[in-house]
Amino acid sequence: MTLNLCILTPNRIVLDSEVKEIILSTNSGKIGVLPNHAPIATAIDTGILRIRLNDQWLTIALMGGFARMDNNEITILVNDAEKGSDIDPQEVQQALEIAEANLRKAEGKIQIIEANLALRQARTRVEAINTIS
Amino acid sequence: MAMAALRREGRRLAPLISPRTITAVRSSPLYPTLEDEGPLGVRHISTQVVRNRMKSVKNIQKITKAMKMVAASKLRAIQTKTENSRGLWQPFTALLGDLPSADVKKNVVVTISSDKGLCGGINSTSVKISKGLHKLNSGPEKETKYVILGEKAKAQLVRDSKKDIELIITELQKNPLNYTQVSVLADEILKNVEYDALRIVFNKFQSVVSFVPTVSTVLSTEIVEREAESGGKLGDLDSYEVEGGETKGEILQNLAEFQFSCTMFNAVLENACSEQGARMSAMDSSSRNAGDMLDRLTLTYNRTRQASITTELIEIISGASALEG
Repeated sequence: MTLNLCILTPNRIVLDSEVKEIILSTNSGKIGVLPNHAPIATAIDTGILRIRLNDQWLTIALMGGFARMDNNEITILVNDAEKGSDIDPQEVQQALEIAEANLRKAEGKIQIIEANLALRQARTRVEAINTIS
Repeated sequence: MAMAALRREGRRLAPLISPRTITAVRSSPLYPTLEDEGPLGVRHISTQVVRNRMKSVKNIQKITKAMKMVAASKLRAIQTKTENSRGLWQPFTALLGDLPSADVKKNVVVTISSDKGLCGGINSTSVKISKGLHKLNSGPEKETKYVILGEKAKAQLVRDSKKDIELIITELQKNPLNYTQVSVLADEILKNVEYDALRIVFNKFQSVVSFVPTVSTVLSTEIVEREAESGGKLGDLDSYEVEGGETKGEILQNLAEFQFSCTMFNAVLENACSEQGARMSAMDSSSRNAGDMLDRLTLTYNRTRQASITTELIEIISGASALEG
C-alpha cells in the first residue's frame, strides 16, 4: 500500500510520485501520515516535509500552504518548495546570514514581519540540508 | 494634342495636383475614383494618388506582420507558465467544488481583461458575460459588484455601471506575471470587498485559435458551510478531519483565501495567453487583408497607366494621319 503524493506550487509541479510514509509539519505540530489514514485537510507552516520511499528518507523544504489527504492520495499546495538535494549549502548559509542581518536592522512592523518570514524560510532550508545527512 | 500636353504637364507637376483631382479624391467615400471626367471627356489620371495609397497599405501590412510575430513570441513564453499553473486550482475544486449555481446575497464579479487593444473580441465577450452575471444576480435581496482588472473592461463598464464598481486595477502586465504579485492583488480585493461569492470572468486558452469565456466561482466560508450541511457535492467536506490551527473555521477561511489567489493567478495567466493568441490572429487577418488590397490597387494602377498611354498613342496617330491625309 502506497500513498500517491503530489506537491504543487504556483509555478510548477515539484513532485508526483508514490511514497510509503510522510511526516508533515502543520501549524499545530508534526503529523505522520501512513497509508489508509482518515481524510484530512490541514494548513502547513513553513517547515520541512520528510518522505520515505523504500526505506530512504527525503527532505523537502515547504514555504507554507495546505495539504489534503483522501483515499491514499495526498495533495500538497504550497507557495514554494525545494528538494533538499537541490539546495546549495553555501548559498543557503549566506541567505541565512543576510536574513538575520535584515532582521536586526528592520524597522517598522511590516519590515520586521517580512524579515522574520525570510529568516524562517532560510532556517527551513538549512534544516532541510542538515537532515539529509 | 493640347490635352495630351496638359496631361503630361499634369504628371510632371505632380505635387501641384490640379484642384479638380483633389476634390474628386476627397468626395469619394471609400475607394477613390481615379478617373475624372473633364469638360470634353478627358481623363485626368492621378497615378500619384494610387502610388501614395499603395505605399501606406504596404506599411500597414509590414507593421501588422511584425505585431503578429511579437504576439506569437510572447504567447510561447506565457503558455508554459499557464500550463504549469493549471494543476494548482484543481485540488481546490476537487475538495470544495465549483458551484456556479450557489445562491448568494453578495456577488462580486471579477472581470479580467487586457490593457492594450487590437486583440480581437475577447474583451467584449468578457464584459458581456459580466453584465449577464450582473443581471442574473440582481434582485430584491441580492446585489452584484464589479472588480475590474485591465483598461479595456474599465472603458466599457465605466460607461453604464459606474456605481457598481468597487475596485479598478490596471497595468497588470508591466512586470512579468508571477504569483507573489497576484496574491498581493487577491489580498487587496479580499480586504476591501465584502462578498459571499466571487465569480472570476476570464478567457480560457483552449488553443491558439479558440478562447472560451469561463467563470470560476470561489465561495466564502459561510456559504461553504451552508452548502456542506445541505449535502450534495460539498457534503463530503465534513468527513475531513481538519488539523493545523485553532478552529476548523479558521483553516477553511485560510483555505478559501488561498483558493482565491490560486484561481486568480491561473485566470490572469489564461487571459494573457488568450490576449496574445487573439492579437496574433487579428494581426494575421489584417495583414492578409492589406495584401489583398495591395493587389487590387496594383491592378488598378497598371490599368490606368496603360489606358493613359494608349489614349496618348491614339491621339498622336490620329493627329499624324490628319496631317498627312
